[in-house]
Amino acid sequence: MKFGIEKCVAWCGNLRTSNDWQLWAQGELTHTPDDDLPPLKQIPAMQRRRLSRFAKLSFHCMLESLGENNQDLACVFASRHGDLHKTAKLIEDVASKDDLSPTHFGLSVHNAVIGLYSIFAKNKSAMTAISAGEDSFMMAMVDAYGKLQSQNLDRILVVYTDEVVPEKYHKYVSDKEKTISVAFVLTKHDIENNIMLTFEPQDNSEQCSAEFQPLEFLRFFFSHTNNAQIHSKRYKWHVSR
Amino acid sequence: MSELINEVKQLIIETLELEDIEPADIDDEEALFVDGLGLDSIDALELGVAIKKAYNVKIDGDSEDSKKHFYSVNSLCQFIEQNR
Repeated sequence: MKFGIEKCVAWCGNLRTSNDWQLWAQGELTHTPDDDLPPLKQIPAMQRRRLSRFAKLSFHCMLESLGENNQDLACVFASRHGDLHKTAKLIEDVASKDDLSPTHFGLSVHNAVIGLYSIFAKNKSAMTAISAGEDSFMMAMVDAYGKLQSQNLDRILVVYTDEVVPEKYHKYVSDKEKTISVAFVLTKHDIENNIMLTFEPQDNSEQCSAEFQPLEFLRFFFSHTNNAQIHSKRYKWHVSR
Repeated sequence: MSELINEVKQLIIETLELEDIEPADIDDEEALFVDGLGLDSIDALELGVAIKKAYNVKIDGDSEDSKKHFYSVNSLCQFIEQNR
């Protein structure tokens, strides 16, 4: 599949601007985790108070990527774990027979962030929320490309967010996972701005990813390399330009 | 009563994460929902749970009376006083 990517905005610890990401891709800046959150002053306080860390990172990347225009784009939201810190707290409350917070319960579904965005931006276009294991980031592009083609769209917003999982779950996931949000506008293919993506089933069952998948893609995207192979347990991804 | 009023205001602010609001900003008599403070139906549920936890007072979600009890800080405090 061939498509373009515009206005890629990503937030991962100290890496936040295109310049940060370019320096990182060239090996001149290293990633350091950090608890800072975007201020999101453009969101009214009564709406902002309900945004978790997970939601704030997603909102920042989505709104920066969209800029002033494009307020009615269709969207694909992807996350492997969703807002797991919130979900884990709810499960703990159930286990200890405490009353659940109705607000947290209402916002614990996988599409909560994209729903809050839809209310804030008054964007009533089609929005989906997907999860595809360790391939969630790459599959977001596949899903977005499918919608672009099948619904004959020119552009679609893609947003991917995941956080380092709560401590109880550390042993189940790779320690390469990081807290990150990435958003970009996926567009129809053109000469100036094009990416080619293919994938096939993984034939080497021992193969595991070299780095956290979204970071592998961003390293390709923000560097001058023309090709990259991204491996996961299930797939071999190939990106080129 | 005035002690309870301040306590309930503090509870509203903390439970509903009203980060820019001080207890003095909430009028005792003014509507909490929609018009006055601008709270919504999810806030009503959240506040119901918090009041149950803090004062062991259960508020029936569907009754017309609940709407009256939830109208303002004053009406909420009267209800808590009578039922705890």
